[in-house]
Amino acid sequence: MAVSRQDGGAGQDVLRRAGEASVLILISLAGGTKHGYALIQDIRELAGVELGPGTLYGALDRLERLGLIEPLPADDRRHPYRITAPGAAALRVHLDSLERVSAAGRLRLQLGGI
Amino acid sequence: MNAAPQPARLVETALRCYPARWRRRHGEEAAELAALLIRDGTPAGSIAWNYLAGAAREWLAPPPGRRLGIVACALLAVACSMGISAGLLTPAVPARASTSQPPHGHAHCRAGSRAPVPGVPHALRYPQASIRETRHGHAC
Repeated sequence: MAVSRQDGGAGQDVLRRAGEASVLILISLAGGTKHGYALIQDIRELAGVELGPGTLYGALDRLERLGLIEPLPADDRRHPYRITAPGAAALRVHLDSLERVSAAGRLRLQLGGI
Repeated sequence: MNAAPQPARLVETALRCYPARWRRRHGEEAAELAALLIRDGTPAGSIAWNYLAGAAREWLAPPPGRRLGIVACALLAVACSMGISAGLLTPAVPARASTSQPPHGHAHCRAGSRAPVPGVPHALRYPQASIRETRHGHAC
Protein backbone atom coordinates (compact mmCIF):
# COMPACT_ATOMS: atom_id res chain seq x y z
CA MET A 1 0.00 0.00 0.00
CA ALA A 2 1.28 3.41 -0.88
CA VAL A 3 1.03 6.12 1.71
CA SER A 4 -1.40 8.80 0.68
CA ARG A 5 0.34 11.85 -0.70
CA GLN A 6 -2.26 14.19 0.72
CA ASP A 7 -0.27 16.31 3.06
CA GLY A 8 -1.49 18.63 5.72
CA GLY A 9 1.49 20.87 5.00
CA ALA A 10 3.30 22.32 7.99
CA GLY A 11 0.45 21.34 10.27
CA GLN A 12 0.42 20.79 14.00
CA ASP A 13 2.23 17.72 15.29
CA VAL A 14 -0.73 15.79 16.70
CA LEU A 15 1.50 12.80 17.41
CA ARG A 16 3.84 14.72 19.69
CA ARG A 17 2.04 13.47 22.80
CA ALA A 18 0.53 10.33 21.32
CA GLY A 19 3.23 8.06 22.69
CA GLU A 20 5.83 5.82 21.11
CA ALA A 21 3.41 2.95 20.50
CA SER A 22 1.10 5.10 18.39
CA VAL A 23 3.95 6.39 16.26
CA LEU A 24 5.35 2.90 15.73
CA ILE A 25 1.92 1.59 14.73
CA LEU A 26 1.49 4.37 12.19
CA ILE A 27 4.95 3.71 10.77
CA SER A 28 4.12 0.01 10.50
CA LEU A 29 0.76 0.69 8.85
CA ALA A 30 2.43 3.08 6.42
CA GLY A 31 3.90 -0.09 4.89
CA GLY A 32 0.47 -1.69 4.38
CA THR A 33 -2.63 -2.91 6.18
CA LYS A 34 -2.01 -5.19 9.16
CA HIS A 35 -3.87 -6.83 12.03
CA GLY A 36 -2.71 -6.94 15.65
CA TYR A 37 -0.34 -9.90 15.50
CA ALA A 38 1.30 -8.69 12.27
CA LEU A 39 1.73 -5.24 13.81
CA ILE A 40 3.50 -6.64 16.87
CA GLN A 41 5.84 -8.73 14.70
CA ASP A 42 6.58 -5.85 12.31
CA ILE A 43 7.31 -3.40 15.12
CA ARG A 44 9.62 -5.95 16.75
CA GLU A 45 11.62 -6.23 13.51
CA LEU A 46 11.41 -2.53 12.68
CA ALA A 47 12.33 -0.96 16.00
CA GLY A 48 13.26 -3.81 18.33
CA VAL A 49 10.33 -2.88 20.53
CA GLU A 50 8.17 -5.61 22.07
CA LEU A 51 4.71 -4.07 22.05
CA GLY A 52 2.37 -5.65 24.60
CA PRO A 53 -1.11 -6.58 23.36
CA GLY A 54 -2.84 -4.32 25.89
CA THR A 55 -0.67 -1.40 24.82
CA LEU A 56 -1.37 -2.23 21.18
CA TYR A 57 -5.17 -2.18 21.49
CA GLY A 58 -5.08 1.00 23.57
CA ALA A 59 -3.03 2.76 20.93
CA LEU A 60 -5.18 1.39 18.08
CA ASP A 61 -8.35 2.71 19.74
CA ARG A 62 -6.75 6.10 20.33
CA LEU A 63 -5.51 6.38 16.75
CA GLU A 64 -8.91 5.33 15.42
CA ARG A 65 -10.66 7.97 17.56
CA LEU A 66 -8.29 10.57 16.13
CA GLY A 67 -9.15 9.41 12.61
CA LEU A 68 -5.54 8.52 11.87
CA ILE A 69 -6.27 4.85 11.17
CA GLU A 70 -9.40 2.91 10.21
CA PRO A 71 -10.45 -0.71 10.69
CA LEU A 72 -11.19 -2.83 7.65
CA PRO A 73 -13.81 -5.60 7.53
CA ALA A 74 -12.66 -8.51 9.68
CA ASP A 75 -11.25 -11.62 8.05
CA ASP A 76 -11.98 -14.47 10.43
CA ARG A 77 -11.57 -12.89 13.88
CA ARG A 78 -8.79 -10.50 12.96
CA HIS A 79 -9.45 -6.84 12.22
CA PRO A 80 -6.91 -5.37 9.82
CA TYR A 81 -6.21 -1.65 10.10
CA ARG A 82 -5.03 0.84 7.57
CA ILE A 83 -3.59 4.31 7.86
CA THR A 84 -5.85 7.15 6.69
CA ALA A 85 -4.83 10.23 4.69
CA PRO A 86 -4.83 12.43 7.84
CA GLY A 87 -2.83 9.68 9.56
CA ALA A 88 -0.20 9.73 6.84
CA ALA A 89 -0.04 13.53 6.99
CA ALA A 90 0.29 13.50 10.77
CA LEU A 91 3.05 10.89 10.59
CA ARG A 92 4.92 12.96 8.01
CA VAL A 93 4.70 16.08 10.19
CA HIS A 94 5.90 14.12 13.22
CA LEU A 95 8.82 12.52 11.40
CA ASP A 96 9.85 15.92 10.00
CA SER A 97 9.81 17.30 13.52
CA LEU A 98 11.92 14.38 14.79
CA GLU A 99 14.38 14.92 11.96
CA ARG A 100 14.81 18.59 12.87
CA VAL A 101 15.39 17.73 16.52
CA SER A 102 17.78 14.95 15.55
CA ALA A 103 19.77 17.26 13.25
CA ALA A 104 19.99 19.91 15.95
CA GLY A 105 21.17 17.32 18.46
CA ARG A 106 23.87 16.01 16.13
CA LEU A 107 25.04 19.53 15.37
CA ARG A 108 25.36 20.38 19.04
CA LEU A 109 27.27 17.20 19.73
CA GLN A 110 29.60 18.09 16.87
CA LEU A 111 30.09 21.69 18.00
CA GLY A 112 30.60 20.62 21.58
CA GLY A 113 33.23 18.11 20.49
CA ILE A 114 31.61 15.41 22.60
CA MET B 1 -14.50 -29.56 34.24
CA ASN B 2 -12.38 -26.72 32.87
CA ALA B 3 -10.23 -27.84 29.97
CA ALA B 4 -8.56 -24.46 29.43
CA PRO B 5 -4.85 -24.60 30.26
CA GLN B 6 -3.43 -22.37 32.97
CA PRO B 7 -1.88 -19.63 30.72
CA ALA B 8 -5.09 -19.29 28.72
CA ARG B 9 -7.11 -18.96 31.91
CA LEU B 10 -4.75 -16.24 33.12
CA VAL B 11 -5.26 -14.24 29.93
CA GLU B 12 -9.03 -14.86 29.94
CA THR B 13 -9.22 -13.49 33.47
CA ALA B 14 -7.30 -10.37 32.43
CA LEU B 15 -9.55 -9.89 29.39
CA ARG B 16 -12.63 -10.08 31.60
CA CYS B 17 -11.39 -6.93 33.35
CA TYR B 18 -12.05 -4.80 30.25
CA PRO B 19 -15.32 -2.92 29.83
CA ALA B 20 -18.04 -4.84 27.95
CA ARG B 21 -17.93 -2.58 24.89
CA TRP B 22 -14.18 -3.25 24.55
CA ARG B 23 -14.71 -7.01 24.89
CA ARG B 24 -17.41 -6.96 22.22
CA ARG B 25 -15.07 -5.13 19.89
CA HIS B 26 -11.68 -6.75 20.55
CA GLY B 27 -12.33 -9.68 22.89
CA GLU B 28 -12.06 -12.61 20.46
CA GLU B 29 -9.16 -11.11 18.54
CA ALA B 30 -7.32 -10.27 21.75
CA ALA B 31 -7.65 -13.87 22.99
CA GLU B 32 -6.39 -15.19 19.67
CA LEU B 33 -3.50 -12.72 19.67
CA ALA B 34 -2.54 -13.84 23.18
CA ALA B 35 -2.59 -17.48 22.06
CA LEU B 36 -0.28 -16.65 19.14
CA LEU B 37 2.12 -14.71 21.37
CA ILE B 38 2.21 -17.55 23.92
CA ARG B 39 2.94 -19.97 21.09
CA ASP B 40 5.85 -17.70 20.06
CA GLY B 41 7.30 -17.92 23.55
CA THR B 42 6.00 -14.77 25.25
CA PRO B 43 5.25 -15.57 28.92
CA ALA B 44 1.52 -15.76 29.59
CA GLY B 45 1.97 -13.80 32.80
CA SER B 46 3.50 -10.91 30.92
CA ILE B 47 0.62 -10.89 28.42
CA ALA B 48 -1.98 -11.07 31.18
CA TRP B 49 -0.27 -8.26 33.07
CA ASN B 50 -0.18 -6.10 29.93
CA TYR B 51 -3.88 -6.73 29.33
CA LEU B 52 -4.61 -5.86 32.98
CA ALA B 53 -2.77 -2.56 32.61
CA GLY B 54 -4.68 -1.91 29.37
CA ALA B 55 -7.97 -2.65 31.14
CA ALA B 56 -7.11 -0.20 33.92
CA ARG B 57 -6.33 2.49 31.33
CA GLU B 58 -9.58 1.71 29.54
CA TRP B 59 -11.61 2.23 32.72
CA LEU B 60 -9.70 5.36 33.74
CA ALA B 61 -9.92 7.05 30.35
CA PRO B 62 -13.57 6.90 29.26
CA PRO B 63 -14.61 7.73 25.69
CA PRO B 64 -14.69 11.44 24.69
CA GLY B 65 -18.49 11.78 24.94
CA ARG B 66 -18.56 10.42 28.46
CA ARG B 67 -15.54 12.52 29.40
CA LEU B 68 -17.52 15.68 28.57
CA GLY B 69 -20.38 14.40 30.72
CA ILE B 70 -18.04 13.77 33.64
CA VAL B 71 -16.62 17.30 33.35
CA ALA B 72 -20.14 18.77 33.26
CA CYS B 73 -21.13 16.75 36.35
CA ALA B 74 -17.97 17.86 38.18
CA LEU B 75 -18.67 21.53 37.37
CA LEU B 76 -22.27 21.13 38.52
CA ALA B 77 -21.12 19.52 41.77
CA VAL B 78 -18.63 22.34 42.41
CA ALA B 79 -21.27 24.96 41.65
CA CYS B 80 -23.76 23.26 44.00
CA SER B 81 -21.24 22.95 46.82
CA MET B 82 -20.28 26.63 46.41
CA GLY B 83 -23.95 27.58 46.51
CA ILE B 84 -24.50 25.58 49.69
CA SER B 85 -21.37 27.07 51.30
CA ALA B 86 -22.53 30.57 50.42
CA GLY B 87 -25.94 29.80 51.87
CA LEU B 88 -24.42 28.61 55.15
CA LEU B 89 -22.14 31.66 55.42
CA THR B 90 -24.84 34.24 54.74
CA PRO B 91 -26.13 35.71 58.05
CA ALA B 92 -29.83 35.62 58.85
CA VAL B 93 -29.95 39.39 59.51
CA PRO B 94 -31.59 40.54 56.26
CA ALA B 95 -34.52 38.18 56.79
CA ARG B 96 -35.16 39.44 60.33
CA ALA B 97 -34.57 43.05 59.39
CA SER B 98 -37.17 42.96 56.69
CA THR B 99 -39.91 41.90 59.11
CA SER B 100 -39.24 44.34 61.98
CA GLN B 101 -39.27 48.12 61.91
CA PRO B 102 -35.84 49.53 62.76
CA PRO B 103 -35.78 52.23 65.48
CA HIS B 104 -33.98 54.85 63.41
CA GLY B 105 -34.64 53.91 59.83
CA HIS B 106 -31.67 51.67 59.11
CA ALA B 107 -32.74 48.19 58.05
CA HIS B 108 -29.65 46.44 59.40
CA CYS B 109 -29.97 47.80 62.96
CA ARG B 110 -31.56 45.69 65.69
CA ALA B 111 -33.90 47.08 68.27
CA GLY B 112 -33.08 46.91 71.96
CA SER B 113 -29.41 47.97 72.11
CA ARG B 114 -27.80 47.25 75.42
CA ALA B 115 -26.46 50.03 77.57
CA PRO B 116 -22.71 50.66 77.27
CA VAL B 117 -20.45 49.13 79.94
CA PRO B 118 -18.08 51.76 81.33
CA GLY B 119 -14.40 51.23 80.56
CA VAL B 120 -14.93 48.52 77.92
CA PRO B 121 -14.69 49.54 74.30
CA HIS B 122 -17.90 48.91 72.40
CA ALA B 123 -16.15 46.90 69.68
CA LEU B 124 -14.79 44.39 72.23
CA ARG B 125 -18.18 43.73 73.75
CA TYR B 126 -20.03 43.42 70.42
CA PRO B 127 -17.56 42.69 67.63
CA GLN B 128 -20.37 42.20 65.15
CA ALA B 129 -21.72 45.65 66.00
CA SER B 130 -18.49 47.41 65.13
CA ILE B 131 -19.04 46.63 61.47
CA ARG B 132 -22.52 48.02 61.51
CA GLU B 133 -21.48 51.18 63.30
CA THR B 134 -19.25 52.27 60.47
CA ARG B 135 -22.20 52.58 58.12
CA HIS B 136 -23.96 55.54 59.67
CA GLY B 137 -21.80 56.81 62.51
CA HIS B 138 -23.71 55.68 65.61
CA ALA B 139 -24.36 52.52 67.58
CA CYS B 140 -27.35 50.39 66.76
